[in-house]
Amino acid sequence: MNAAVETRSAPRALRQPSVLPGFGLTFGFTTFFLSAIVLLPLAALVLMSLRLSWSEFWEVILDPRAVGSYRLSFGASLLAAGINLVFGFIIAWTLVRYEFPGKRIIDALIDMPFALPTAVSGIALTTVFAQNGWIGQYLEPFGIKVAYTWIGVTVALTLIGMPFMVRTVQPALAEVQKDLEDAAETLGAGRFHIFRRIILPTVLPAMLTGFALAFARAVGEYGSVIFISGNLPMKTEITPLLIVIKLEEFDYRGAAALGTVMLFISFIMLLAINLLQAWGRRRHTRTGR
Amino acid sequence: MSITLDQVTKRYQGAPVVNDVSLEIGDGEFFVLLGPSGSGKSTLLRAIAGLTGVDHGRIALHGRDVTHTAARERGVGLVFQNYALFRHMTVADNIEFALRVRRVKRAERVQRRKELLRLVALEGMDERLPAQLSGGQQQRVAVARALAHKPEVLLLDEPFGALDAKIREELRRTIRQVQRELGITTVLVTHDQEEAFALADRIGVMNLGRLLEVGRPDELYKRPATRFVATFLGAANLLLARQSKDGIHFGNHAVNARAVEGSVSGREHEVVAVLRPEEIELAPTREALTSSYLAAGTVEELVFTGALERLRVRLTNGSAEVQLAKSNGDGEYLEVTRTQHEQRAFEVQRGQHVAIGVRRIHVLPTPLSSFTACAASDAEVEHLSRQPLLVELAARMKTRVATRVEPALANGSRDCSSRSGKFVGAAVVAAQPDSLKDIECLLARGAEEVFVLPPNAPPPQRVLIHWADEAAKSATLAVSASLLRHLSAEAIYVDVMPQGTAESQRPHGMRALLDARSEAQAVHGLEMRTELRVGNVSTELVRQLGESVDPLLILGISQINGLAHRFADLLASTPRWPMLIVYREPEVQA
Amino acid sequence: MMASRATQIFVDEHATRPGRDTLTTAFVRAFFIGVSLLFLAALLFAPLATVFTMALEKGYEAYLASFSDPDTGAAIRLTLLTAAVVVPINTVFGLAAAWAIAKFEFRGKSFLITLIDLPLAVSPVISGLVYVLLFGLQGWFGLWLQEHDISIVFALPGIILATMFVTFPYVARELIPLMQQLGNDEEEAAITLGAGAWMTFFRVTLPKVRWGLVYGVILCNARAMGEFGAVSVVSGHIRGVTNTMPLHIEILYNEYNFVGAFAVASLLTLLAVLTLVVKSLVERTGYKGH
Repeated sequence: MNAAVETRSAPRALRQPSVLPGFGLTFGFTTFFLSAIVLLPLAALVLMSLRLSWSEFWEVILDPRAVGSYRLSFGASLLAAGINLVFGFIIAWTLVRYEFPGKRIIDALIDMPFALPTAVSGIALTTVFAQNGWIGQYLEPFGIKVAYTWIGVTVALTLIGMPFMVRTVQPALAEVQKDLEDAAETLGAGRFHIFRRIILPTVLPAMLTGFALAFARAVGEYGSVIFISGNLPMKTEITPLLIVIKLEEFDYRGAAALGTVMLFISFIMLLAINLLQAWGRRRHTRTGR
Repeated sequence: MSITLDQVTKRYQGAPVVNDVSLEIGDGEFFVLLGPSGSGKSTLLRAIAGLTGVDHGRIALHGRDVTHTAARERGVGLVFQNYALFRHMTVADNIEFALRVRRVKRAERVQRRKELLRLVALEGMDERLPAQLSGGQQQRVAVARALAHKPEVLLLDEPFGALDAKIREELRRTIRQVQRELGITTVLVTHDQEEAFALADRIGVMNLGRLLEVGRPDELYKRPATRFVATFLGAANLLLARQSKDGIHFGNHAVNARAVEGSVSGREHEVVAVLRPEEIELAPTREALTSSYLAAGTVEELVFTGALERLRVRLTNGSAEVQLAKSNGDGEYLEVTRTQHEQRAFEVQRGQHVAIGVRRIHVLPTPLSSFTACAASDAEVEHLSRQPLLVELAARMKTRVATRVEPALANGSRDCSSRSGKFVGAAVVAAQPDSLKDIECLLARGAEEVFVLPPNAPPPQRVLIHWADEAAKSATLAVSASLLRHLSAEAIYVDVMPQGTAESQRPHGMRALLDARSEAQAVHGLEMRTELRVGNVSTELVRQLGESVDPLLILGISQINGLAHRFADLLASTPRWPMLIVYREPEVQA
Repeated sequence: MMASRATQIFVDEHATRPGRDTLTTAFVRAFFIGVSLLFLAALLFAPLATVFTMALEKGYEAYLASFSDPDTGAAIRLTLLTAAVVVPINTVFGLAAAWAIAKFEFRGKSFLITLIDLPLAVSPVISGLVYVLLFGLQGWFGLWLQEHDISIVFALPGIILATMFVTFPYVARELIPLMQQLGNDEEEAAITLGAGAWMTFFRVTLPKVRWGLVYGVILCNARAMGEFGAVSVVSGHIRGVTNTMPLHIEILYNEYNFVGAFAVASLLTLLAVLTLVVKSLVERTGYKGH
């Protein structure tokens, strides 16, 4: 907010004057390092895909195998983010509203999927959900196969998206002023009414942001999925894996084309998340200050 | 009665935050609950609204007991300090919320909304979002929203806290206007005395969970009954004085003030005198004063504040017969305010010597005015007067701890026969194996209250009150009330019937108990609970003390002899709990 | 302490509110806690427990023996070496970026923040892919590198670059909001009192943000040691040479050497647990001030 207002008042200045030293050094280093490590390589990716002609490019990215991988990557990611929308909310609610033994430990463990290497969660999930695994063995009699199917992919993507959902909704839920609920209650609203009309609308921006974050993370996920997915072309092959396969076949341009598609989607998600967060901030701006 | 509170108590983790509050608020009355933060006023308001349950007591709205009724069925409107508007709803949706919940038809809702918006002077703002309104406007919406369902009671929780001074005043006027127009019973919570004066029909002052005093604003200001109210409602100089049949004495020097109000007990005793800064007159000489002379002083500080001039006048050392209830660290000075008119009549400068007169003195009916730490040697007295509980109590009561070396307390040389005459306030002694002897000695030498203090005693959470002799009853109640106003502790009156009391006598005991309670409430404004036990007095008191967390005992007696026998369990060994012994000689019939 | 007392009162008040149906309240509470715990148990606790049960399936000796495998040792050494290079560089970058962004107002600031966050939004496979496209045999610089006999892809430099890309934002992300929240007052005071730039930084700023820095560094380290996708693309999977711990887990797992795979996994799991412990400790110091 501040930045925007100040910039407008002095449109020509690159930066506001300050007595603090070190802007040139730190700003220069930051932009240089950012360019060298992140921007330049990403540009190389886009340029590489431009070595293909348009028709070649379309052919690569609309290849049935590629389309099949999109279907799985996006379908499973959407489903996983949807599952997190429900369960992430329930977990956040539990952590914010209730006291129970072990709450602090569980609260700390929410970040586990974030800190745990993806390869570890990949092999561990596969073992647990395999036909003879701790959970898989109870699903087997019902004809539900998790490991090596799209269900397994969804499970893995749900796990890695979970902390994003919980950690976004948690503070929003904690910030729903208790006053609001109290006000609604003195005005005659019942608990369900309060939940639907007051709490849900208030945390909605946070939930959508969490959904977008979980989805964006899931689409690009690689490590935890490849162990549990089984990697059958057209069936359980995710897009990042297809890129790796193309690389292993030394089809750099094909890999670059698919990479560009994914990068493009990442940008769109990033934009969506920023807009959602801005929306949430506007709604959450404390009034009357 | 619109709102009736009966002995409402609310505890958080054992500690009472609302402590035995009883109150009646009439139809259409504008009642202001005033108190510092943490005094329990907001919790009490939330209890009336039904947003928090009470642990004890009863709440009735218009004669309907709502103690266990949910907030949404109580029919109250509540306005919050931070507005608590629903940010995702427009002004219209906010105001209509309560009506929607009640499934009121659209046409009726719209009509009601228009009506309310006109009432709070916000016509045409219907479709705005809260974020598009100023703080004052938001609070107006909140008031309109709280009134939408035509509640019988409007509750306001520090509604102006987050607003600028100007807007605050404007909104204050609006609320007063709305209240008059609708004639709705209103309770407002605030810590701002000016606000309370501006709005209230009646004010209730709360401190430490207790409702200390209730009354019309001018009444409370002119005739407070407690030190807390005297200093919280406006500025006040508190002076220690002695009251006798013929007036108020500061030392040997009597003041003949026009209005001296206070307790009427015939015997001479120490009192606390309240001098409002505006009731003090300054003059170049004693003869030039138009009011009663109090003392001589030097102007030490002089601040011009517009309509008024504020001064600090240090009392000249020679006139030390005037004693402040609480000395201000680096000396004894009085706060004085003077109008422009007074300033013109007699201009003063810093450092100028002046004569101080007083136009009006209000005497607080307080039986516990100060503490005097007593021990056999300087070192012991010093140590005792630094005891945390004593320091804490003195600070809360805005009084001082005097010290007094009492050779009679030394081991082996107990010469308690002579009365030493002037004992001011409560005598304080350290708890030790021989405490009983100390108590007897001090009482024999003329002390009327003896406070026995074990080392490092914590502030009491529960005060047990008991009088062993009927003659000490009213004094014990008065002392208890005086002490309890400054403690966030629950008060319990313990009556013990002797073992073997006939079954038929029990109702009699219960009646005595209830009588004591109503006397405490009626005469001293002290709310207490009661407990009837059967057995040996001393044993039962010890048991009750042992079962309580951080207790304090107030024990009233009117016989010195035989203490050792009557309170064997309690006093034979080193007292474990703080104990305040109140002694009054039985009245001798003339 | 304050927070827990506040929630205590909050919970207290809700539980004793008049007109509340205690049975329903208890049921709703049990339902929420139950569902949360079940969900976490299936998805999180069971896999975590599996790591250790599988690693110890054949006893402690087999567990310990799996670390004496020379390839495993090489993988651990390579991972430590990578982290030792990447973490300090990213820490310096994080401090510089946080200083520039938090202490100054300039145009395009929010765009810069978005760019710094970019690696988080990009698939790890792409993070590896871009370096292959730059330095791989068919990449932009592939031929030149081959002529000068420099290998980046399928060698240590590639692994370090890919890891650096992936863990790039972590320190900066922790520090920027923290430094913005703490404000410039103390730095400005130090400057007006005559302190130089470095003195101000080391004596005023660094102590202020140290807990945030600690967490940022530890998180950056955990991600650096655990990165799989990006490193997998650039490493070439040469056993004992370019295999980091996560890649080694994959190889052992695919060879059905479960004890070996889960033994290495257990080390990384412990690292993750340690990271979370540090995070909890840092949060308990209350540096976020809520």
